[in-house]
Amino acid sequence: MKRKMDPVDVVIVGLGAGGGPAAKVLSEAGYKVVGFDKGPWLRPEEHYSGDELKFQNRSYLWPDVNLMPRTVRSDANSEARIFNFSPVPSNVGGGTSHMAGWMPRPRVSDFIFHSLHGDLEGASLADWPYRYEHLEPYLTKVEWSYGISGLAGADKGEGFRSKAYPSAPLPPTRFGKKFYEGSNKLGINSFPLPMSHLTEGNALGRPAVNRTSFWNQYGDPTQTRSSVATTYIPEALATGNFEVRADSFVREVKVGKDGKATGVIYIDPSGAEIEQDARVVILALGAIESARLMLLSSSNHFPDGLANDSGLVGKNATFHEYIFAVGLFDRDMEDPLNGWTGNYQSGGSTHFYETDESRGHIGGGIIATTQIGQAINAIMPGRPAWGQAMKDADRDYFDYSMKIGFILQDMPQETNRVDLDPTVKDAWGMPVARITNKPHANDIAMSKWQIDQNQEILQAAGAKKTVPVYLGDEFTGNACHQQGTVRMGTDPAKSVLNEWGQAHSVENLFVLDGAGFPTALGVNPTLTIMAHSWRCADYIANTYMKGRSERLTLSPIKKS
Amino acid sequence: MVSKADWEIAPIRIDPDTTEKLFFTDHEWDTIEAAAARIMPTDQDPGAREARVIVFIDRYLFGIAYLYAAADGSGFLQLADKDAHAARARNANMQRLYREGIHELDKKARELRAPSFKEASEQTQDEVLEQISGVPKPIPVSLTSREVYYSRLQGNTDEGKSFFDTLCLHVRQGFYGDPVYGGNKDQMGWKTVGFVGPKSLKDTMDGTYSTAEFFIQEYDWEDLVPGFKHSQDPTSKQEQDGQ
Repeated sequence: MKRKMDPVDVVIVGLGAGGGPAAKVLSEAGYKVVGFDKGPWLRPEEHYSGDELKFQNRSYLWPDVNLMPRTVRSDANSEARIFNFSPVPSNVGGGTSHMAGWMPRPRVSDFIFHSLHGDLEGASLADWPYRYEHLEPYLTKVEWSYGISGLAGADKGEGFRSKAYPSAPLPPTRFGKKFYEGSNKLGINSFPLPMSHLTEGNALGRPAVNRTSFWNQYGDPTQTRSSVATTYIPEALATGNFEVRADSFVREVKVGKDGKATGVIYIDPSGAEIEQDARVVILALGAIESARLMLLSSSNHFPDGLANDSGLVGKNATFHEYIFAVGLFDRDMEDPLNGWTGNYQSGGSTHFYETDESRGHIGGGIIATTQIGQAINAIMPGRPAWGQAMKDADRDYFDYSMKIGFILQDMPQETNRVDLDPTVKDAWGMPVARITNKPHANDIAMSKWQIDQNQEILQAAGAKKTVPVYLGDEFTGNACHQQGTVRMGTDPAKSVLNEWGQAHSVENLFVLDGAGFPTALGVNPTLTIMAHSWRCADYIANTYMKGRSERLTLSPIKKS
Repeated sequence: MVSKADWEIAPIRIDPDTTEKLFFTDHEWDTIEAAAARIMPTDQDPGAREARVIVFIDRYLFGIAYLYAAADGSGFLQLADKDAHAARARNANMQRLYREGIHELDKKARELRAPSFKEASEQTQDEVLEQISGVPKPIPVSLTSREVYYSRLQGNTDEGKSFFDTLCLHVRQGFYGDPVYGGNKDQMGWKTVGFVGPKSLKDTMDGTYSTAEFFIQEYDWEDLVPGFKHSQDPTSKQEQDGQ
């Protein structure tokens, strides 16, 4: 007989970018909420520092691939191999613990991708069941409560914005200045990228002292980086209505006789199996693990996995490969670029974001100039592996190279999916997520075209040599972004969730991470995930919990 | 179970000048030290030998006691339960990889008529390394050649690599990693490439260590972003005014 905890109003599984805002909104609305994370609750001021080896090479924050493996294969006929695909920290705070913190807004066109482009062969394009205007108030709420820096008005193609940012951006780095120079020569609108990072004098009154440049993939020991673990989680706890259960692995969502979710079964830190009942279950484990947990939760009502009557759970996954071009500069001609400095990104652009079919592909995404990293792992494709040539390359280019990265907006395809691996199990004895993926021809074309543009900017900035790093024939999940596996839509035959992140077939089940995104976006997903979670949590608190329901009516799109 | 959040700190420090071997035998120590010196050679700047890369590798291979420094560098984290179990399994594989790799270095050296790898000339040592790497010895970077690459995972773990690739990665780690791990003695590696790193890990936790001086000091967003006006964003001058 399993132990049973006292029932609560809401259970949230996963306390990262998706779970954090929901925890805050629902506990502040007076509901009793329990949040689970399978990883630890680390204390930034005690556990994080600028240790390259620990964070970049020895995976202190990434999931241990022996304990939480994933498998990957390129199609249904090939053998899956164990690979740390799309590793996101498994701890309270999730990906907001290590992320570089690009926080650009999505654009108006992102929500109507199918209306703008029609069908694309081999892809499953779709519109979102809501529009930019529905999310805008929540984007602003997140920017002002979580803490985002940026320069309002600098991104010429941005949609309507109700408020400027609460914090000015960081000054440009030396390589950032080069990026602006190259962009301006070519007439490309570039601007300081919005970041989950504050600067001195911010309107939130938060200290902003971390200028160590130990940033992307590092935890921040100060509160300079906005993270769910240092903002929304403590705010939720302050209500007295929220409890964190860390190191607790949720292995199943329970379903009752009426087909509704009744709560979860989890394994606590001592190894005991415990039941936690709730009126509402929210999944926010990230698109891979949310889909996995749904597939693990089969029942009489849902033999193929929770809310999977459409058979779509796990399908249409998108991953945003991070690709880039590196420029090498002549040390005898230039001042140092100090590519190892900066809190990762230092200037970006959405100039190439909107579709221009003359390029040979549809869609686009955001680019940014980013740190090359510290000395062990400094990014230099083609660096000699050893000997005098390696030492000379390090000495000549560590201070004289820069890169411009690109968030590749991959097209959703039903065959790019997450399912349960038939043989590999995790440390809790449960089948792991198996990822099947192959880039669409549009992804390959977009990669080539955009990285060549990035090379041109580097050349305009004075690079003597540029080196492209394109998308290969498989995704690696290196952006740590995951979307689409539990897609939202208006038609229950073609989607799993509705416009509130609510399962069509399980009314008290909500999935509030990137899993719901029908298309990948051309921007980093975190700000959208947080605003989306807040919007849906508002619906849960003010409409669903009050016994009501509401449907959104969308006006038709006029294609221009 | 003991959570990762509660791993204890063992107050141990590594002396980079130590000659005490925790994992390697004398012969293994000398062999890896010689190989590391060919991977990161000494020239007008120090190389792997002076930076004590060998101490770094020996401590790493010894077990899991030196896997993660405490955040402030005051000692090393003591992994527990399933995390320790997984790390120990990896360590056992790594020890085996090195023992077999050292055996291979000596075997190849003898094929080239040297008594052993460590006693071979630098030229012969390079020949052996070239052989086990499977590709020609790297040539200097050219600014005129054109190459194309494809994306890979961020981060750089040492899992699933060959002995040679593992050793090259470990030499970089020992030369450029934080000195708390036993290599990069007196920040020799950092000084070689111009990385102005922190005096201690602790200094990276509270604002003591800062790279602010490397940012552009005088700038105006209206110049960098043509068309932008400060009137569009009243907060845009905070940071500049704060300096």
